[in-house]
This record gives sequence, structure tokens and C-alpha cells, in this order.
Amino acid sequence: MVEDLLRFIVERGLALGANFCEARYFEERSNSITVENGIAKAMSSGILRGIGVRVIVNGHWGFASTNLLTKKDAEKTLRDALSGAKSIAAYAGEEAKILHIEPSNDRVFHRVKISPEEVDPEYKIRRILEIEKPAMEFSDRIKDTLINYRDVVTRVFLHNSIGTLVEEITPRTIISCRVIAKEGELMQSGHEVLGNVVGYELIEEIRPEDFSIKAARKAVSLLEAKAPPRGRFSVVADPEVGGLFVHEAIGHNSEGDLVYSGQSIIADKIGQKIASELVTVIDDPTMRGYGSFTYDHEGVKARQHVIVKNGILVRFLHSLESAAKLGGVPEGSARAQSHNYPPLVRMSNIYLAPGDMTLEEILEEIDYGLYLSGSEYGYVETEKGQFTCKVEEAWLIEKGELTEHLRDVAISGSILEILKNIKAVGRDLRLKMPGMCGKSGQSVYVDGGAPHFRIDGVIVGGRK
Amino acid sequence: MVGIDLYTPVEKAMRVLRTLDVDFYDVAATYSRSISISIFGRGIREAISKVDIGLGVRAFKNKGLGVAYTQSLDESDIEETVRRAVKYARAAQPDPYFKGIPGPSRAQRVPELCDKEIVDLTIEETIKIPRNMIDACECVRRGGMYRGGFSANYTKYSLMTSTGVDIEEEKTAVSASIQPVYREGDDVGSSHEFDYGVRLSDIDPYWIGRRAAEKAIEQFGSKRIKSCMLPLILSPEASSTLFMSLLLALSGERAVKGRTFASNLIGKRITQENLEVNDDGTIPGAIASSTYDGEGVPRRPVKVIKDGIVLTFLHNSYSAGIINVESTGHAIRDGYRGHVDAGPSNVKVNPGDSTLEEILHETKRGILVVNASFSPNIVSGELSTTIDEGFLIERGEKVFPIKNLMVGGHILDLYKNIDMISKEGRIFGGGHFFPSIRIKEARLSGE
Repeated sequence: MVEDLLRFIVERGLALGANFCEARYFEERSNSITVENGIAKAMSSGILRGIGVRVIVNGHWGFASTNLLTKKDAEKTLRDALSGAKSIAAYAGEEAKILHIEPSNDRVFHRVKISPEEVDPEYKIRRILEIEKPAMEFSDRIKDTLINYRDVVTRVFLHNSIGTLVEEITPRTIISCRVIAKEGELMQSGHEVLGNVVGYELIEEIRPEDFSIKAARKAVSLLEAKAPPRGRFSVVADPEVGGLFVHEAIGHNSEGDLVYSGQSIIADKIGQKIASELVTVIDDPTMRGYGSFTYDHEGVKARQHVIVKNGILVRFLHSLESAAKLGGVPEGSARAQSHNYPPLVRMSNIYLAPGDMTLEEILEEIDYGLYLSGSEYGYVETEKGQFTCKVEEAWLIEKGELTEHLRDVAISGSILEILKNIKAVGRDLRLKMPGMCGKSGQSVYVDGGAPHFRIDGVIVGGRK
Repeated sequence: MVGIDLYTPVEKAMRVLRTLDVDFYDVAATYSRSISISIFGRGIREAISKVDIGLGVRAFKNKGLGVAYTQSLDESDIEETVRRAVKYARAAQPDPYFKGIPGPSRAQRVPELCDKEIVDLTIEETIKIPRNMIDACECVRRGGMYRGGFSANYTKYSLMTSTGVDIEEEKTAVSASIQPVYREGDDVGSSHEFDYGVRLSDIDPYWIGRRAAEKAIEQFGSKRIKSCMLPLILSPEASSTLFMSLLLALSGERAVKGRTFASNLIGKRITQENLEVNDDGTIPGAIASSTYDGEGVPRRPVKVIKDGIVLTFLHNSYSAGIINVESTGHAIRDGYRGHVDAGPSNVKVNPGDSTLEEILHETKRGILVVNASFSPNIVSGELSTTIDEGFLIERGEKVFPIKNLMVGGHILDLYKNIDMISKEGRIFGGGHFFPSIRIKEARLSGE
């Protein structure tokens, strides 16, 4: 029994001198299907599972993990964590401390309409091929269509010496479609992704015109797109680019561990105006999205986190440690990729709260600028406050109208300057960025979104 | 735990597979043990040790692939894993490009890939490495906040296939990095240095710490410049991303199936300069070396670019089969998770004939790029990337550090514009070698 093993580790840890002891079982069962040009050429399945043990001994952290699940291996893993913590004790560094909060005791199982495990693999293949087909037939310039499907059930079972005992089982389903279009030597690709804390019903409900055909249309139309102008411009971000921007520019900088370790550009800005008054940014694990959960990986119940309210920096995201060090309240932001990693402070579903404008009204006021659509990737150097977001496609805005189609566009800027330049926020909020966020070698499930919004003075990079 | 037995579980899976109706199969198992010490905030924060073990099965039926893996080596779990792989192989559809998996070959063992010192290393024995990195930073400037760490890893790997491959390899790897952040009011000086290798002795913590701190201080007072066209001088760290991007785009099925910007480059000249790039997975003591690749094909040196002309793709057996050539020994297996891809091993770019000082001196006005990722969209080859760390230079001198400056263009235009390659460069992981290069003109977006 997993619970017995967790209880054994925590009790033993305290007996062997730990001031704090946490044992976390992690299990992930996944199935995936790879489809290429009308052929479901590979199917795979995997089971990850193991235990991670974290201790504090005299102000120092020790962590150890294993996927050997006998009592003997559990004890050895605990001893590795303890001896690790003792080994670094002679060196003054970053002190380990946590906030002692009320323990949680709960079991949560997120229900889905159709469990992917119960759908016949051959039926899944037929359905995915059905979704792919219209993309293949969209144009004679389509070179390749590729679909990746994955369903995964994550089980986290945590016990610690505060007295918390929490189990949470979360199913997720995600599907992505990449289409490559070709004309002579020129190739372009279009990408769409759908994912959520949801079962196989996600796949049943897909309408190809909103998914695979959309990716195909994007790939083909990008063949004709031009290079963007270079320099500083007013831009309008769509919900995907907006989600990526909020994640990179505000989200990472508000992670409590980066704040106390001196890596955040907004570390000393609580209570100060860091953005225009139109900006309210919320990270919400309790809303429906790919990054949803009920308890974080320290067993803390998740709540909505308002990070920026009307331009004022209100709070940071916290783990038990960052809350202790910064005087904050932990409300469920500590997560780990698996049993093999200690938890870090992470975002969940982050978004820019809606304003009251329509997209037309936002565009109307722009004489010359760029409309940015679809996110490829982004990153941020939090300590310097410099961010980069690569977008899939863009259009020139001339006198309020979308004119020339552009490709290969990226934006960059200094966070503290750019947040003050958010000049209009739309009412059409959508959460549309299911995926994985990487930090310190760990990936966790996240989502993000925004309504359409306008930023002035953004540096746009391109080939022109 | 060095004596961990991977042979028995792998053989157990093979025994079950022999009784089932499949055309090809392979079983891979890995055991790894790692220790690491993290640096965060004011210094050393956490000691970490991990054990990871698992077994993966690939089964092929009528050219359809089924993959399954498990982290439990109990007999019943192994049997269930085999059955899941076979069930999925039967459900998958025929892949017309699949021609089979490689058979056994004998290869000369590549030496010095396992540092015995690392196998049973403890946190206590390695604590000095991160401590010395921090001390070296503090010697340059006190009061930094830090992020980084040290880790050492031992891996044992076993592979058996239905075609008779039966290999076992042991490897070690170490890495260390530190990023100091210094503040003066609102101004930030920050940089990053790292090193990695096979042996513990490959890491010099003082060098890493000192260099990181010196680079960080140089970043104070960064400024923007206007959009313009200027020459770029890429440090070995930055040039490595440009070269690795090209080699990745020349690797495996994506390249062969015409899905990368490099798919049609074979036989074509991509640069004026006498560029030569070799890939060699047989270098003793090098990070990306191994006796066999991820499918059991012996590693061998491959000349990828000579006289600026691209000569070959880097293949695993699947991509080689598509164009009816032999695998070049570049299969990369994702541990026990069963996924097999292809990619470069140790990449060596031949040095040129100018010193870095000469290159800088001959550049009236340009940008010295210390840190940036020149990784384009792999399909189109188009690139727009931020220079994360760099300097405006005039007549060989650094004028000031730059910020918010982006490079845009097609990666092949950057290659076309390489006009100088340095004599000196940096060896990474005991195998890779990248020089500094000059790109005579690039489009920059700034103010």
C-alpha cells in the first residue's frame, strides 16, 4: 500500500532527526498515438512511478527519489535525503525553512465523461484519421500532416510531517496537429493544439475546421506571407500570444522562489504600480484548463491568485518555503514534474483579465502596427527582465485594418517598461495555451490566455 | 548499486516476446544514479540524489510500431509491458518507410566513458565543487545572488534485439554551472557559465565561478541601439547553437522526409568560407561518445561539411532505410522510454586561421554575441532571436553591453555570410569543438 509506505517514511524521517519530512508518490500512466499522412504508424504507452522524499535537517534541504518501491529502498532513499542535508550543513548558503500551515486531508478524483483507457485503440485511430483527413486534402500545397495524441492520468499521493495526507488523480488529454505546406523550395508550417483536464470527449468534440483545417490553412497562407518591418511598434496580441506574454513577462517574475533568490526584476515592487491600470493578471489552478489542480505538490489547497490588480503588483506565487521567506500565504503553487524532482514555485492557468473593448475598437485606434497571432515559444531572463516571444503569424495594421500577412515575427522588450505600455484590453478572454512550462530542468502542465490587447513600443524582429 | 543486473529483466522480456507473433522487437533497460547539489539565492540550498530504473519494449507487426515502458522490473510488470507493446503494434498501421531494425556488429570499445570515481560518489565528496564556484564568484565581487549547481550521473544501459544485438554500456557525466546576479540600484549585471564532461576532473569550479562573475559585471550599463545592419562575431557558446541547429536539421526522418530547411542541402555549398564540420561519437572520454548508437550500430566519425559543402545526413536505421543507405550510427534512444530518434554526437568545427583578436580588430563596428540561441524554425529555417548577452564593438574594443537587440533572417543567409573563423575556440564535454565566427552582415532590430 502506497499510503503505508508514505507513513513509514515520514515517521522514520522524524525519528532519524528530520525537522520536516515529506514523502510524495507519483504515478503517471500515458498512451499516445503518432499519425503521419494518414497512417497511425506508432502507438505507445508508459508507466512512470516512484517516490520522492524531502527533508529539512537543521536548516538544510535534502531530497532523494527512487522508483524501487520496497520498504528497504524507501528507507535507503530517506537516508540518502537525510545524509545529503547533513553533508551540506557545514556550508552557509540559502537556509531551508517552511511555513507550518494547517494540514490537509483529502482525496480528489477529477471525473471525465469518457475514460480514454476504455476506448478501443483502433477506434481512437479511426477518429484521429478522420480529423486529419480534411487537412491532408485542404490544398495540393500540403506536404505533410502530423498528429500527436496523448492521454495521461497523473496520481499524486503526498504525506508530510505537518500531518497532510492528500491524494489527487488527474486525467488529461491533449492533441496537436502540425501541417507543412510547400511551394517550390519554400516550406511553412501551421500548428494547432487542444488540451485540458478532460477525457476522450475532447477528441469526440473536435470540429476539423477549428483544428486540423485551421493548421492547414495557416501553413498554406504563410507561404505567401511577407517579412515584418523591424523596430518599435504598437502591437495587438491575440489570446494565444497574450497568454504567452503574460506567462513570460509577469508569471515567471512572480514566482516566489525566484523572488527570494534575487532572480526577479519585480522582487521589491509589491504594492507598486508595475503596469498600466488596465492590467489585472490572475493565475488560477481552480479554473478549467490544462494547468488545473486541487492540491499542489506540497499538499496545499489551490486558490485563485490575483498577481497584478489594476496595474498594482499585489502578490507573488508561493511554496511553503517562499511564503516563509517573503511573508506570504501559500495557496497552492508548488509543483514538481514527477517523484524525481523537488517541487518548485510554478504557474498554473495564467491569464490577463478581460477589459471592455471589442477587437474592432482596439484596432480602430491604431494607425500603423502589427496584429500578432499564435504562439510558438517564449522565454524570459527574469533577473534582467528581458523577454522574447516568437509568434506564428502576424498582419500589418494600417489605419485600423489588417492588411499584409506576415511571418517569422518575434517580439522582445524590457518587462517594466512594456507593462506600462498596455493601452487597450479586450473583452474576449480565452484560455488557449495548453502545454508544458520548463523551469530548472522540470516541465509541468500549464495553460494561459488573454483577451486581445494592445501594447505600444514593442521591439519587433524580422527579416526585412 | 553498480552491480545492478539489467540482463535478467531484459532477457525475461525477450523470452516473452519470442512466444508472441511479432516481426521485430527490441528491449532496452537503463539504471541511473545521480547526485546533485543546487545553488540558489545566497548559496548552496539543497542536496539531491536520484535512482531511476526502467525497461522499454518496441515491437513491430506488419510495419506498425508498438512501444511500452515501465519503471518496475517485477516479472509480472515486465510481462504486462511486453503485452501492451505487442497489442499496440498490432493496432498500429503499416509504416511504408519501415525496413527493419539493425543486426549485430562488432565495434572497438570506445574507452574512458565511465569515471569509476563517480559511480559511488557521495554528496559529501562533491560539496567542494559548488562551494568553490561560489567562492570564485565572491573573489571577483561579493554579495551576488546565485542560481546553478553541480551534478554527477552514472548510467548503465542494456539493449537486446530480435536481430541479435546484445550490448551493455556504462557511462558517467558531470556538469556544473553558476549564474551570479549583481544589482546597483535598478541596474543588473548578470551572466552564466558552465562546463560538463565525463570525468570529475573535467570540471574546474574556480574557472567557472570566476568567469561567470567577470562576465556578469561587464553587463552593467547595457543600452539599446537602433535597428541596423552590422557584422556579428559569435563566441564559441553562440556559434555552437548555429552549428547544432544545422546538424539537427540534417538528422533522421525529418531531414530525409523533406521537413527541414536542410533537407535539400546535400551536395550544396552553404558558405563561402572553408568550413569543415565533423561528427565523431568515438572520441575517448567525450560526453556524446559511445561504442554503439541507440540501436546497437557502431559509432563512427562522419564528415558532415567539407569546403562549405554539405555531404551527408545523420541517420538512424529508419531514416537510412528511406533512402536505401546504411545507418551512420546516429540513433538516439530516449533511455528506456522506447522512442528512437537521430541526432549529432560530438560535433567538431575545424578552426580557421584568424585569432579572435584579429577578427575583432578587423571589425570596425559590430556586435560581439556572447550568448544567444541561433535556433531557427526547423521547417522554414527562418530565425528571429534576441541577443541575450552581447556588446557593441568598435575597432576591436567593447563599447558597451547591448540589450533588447534581435537578429532576424534565414539561417542559411547567416551561413552564407560567415567570412572569418577563429583559430582558437572552446572544447565542450571533452568532444565538441566550436570556434568563434564572424558573420559579415546581419539584420538587427532595436530602437
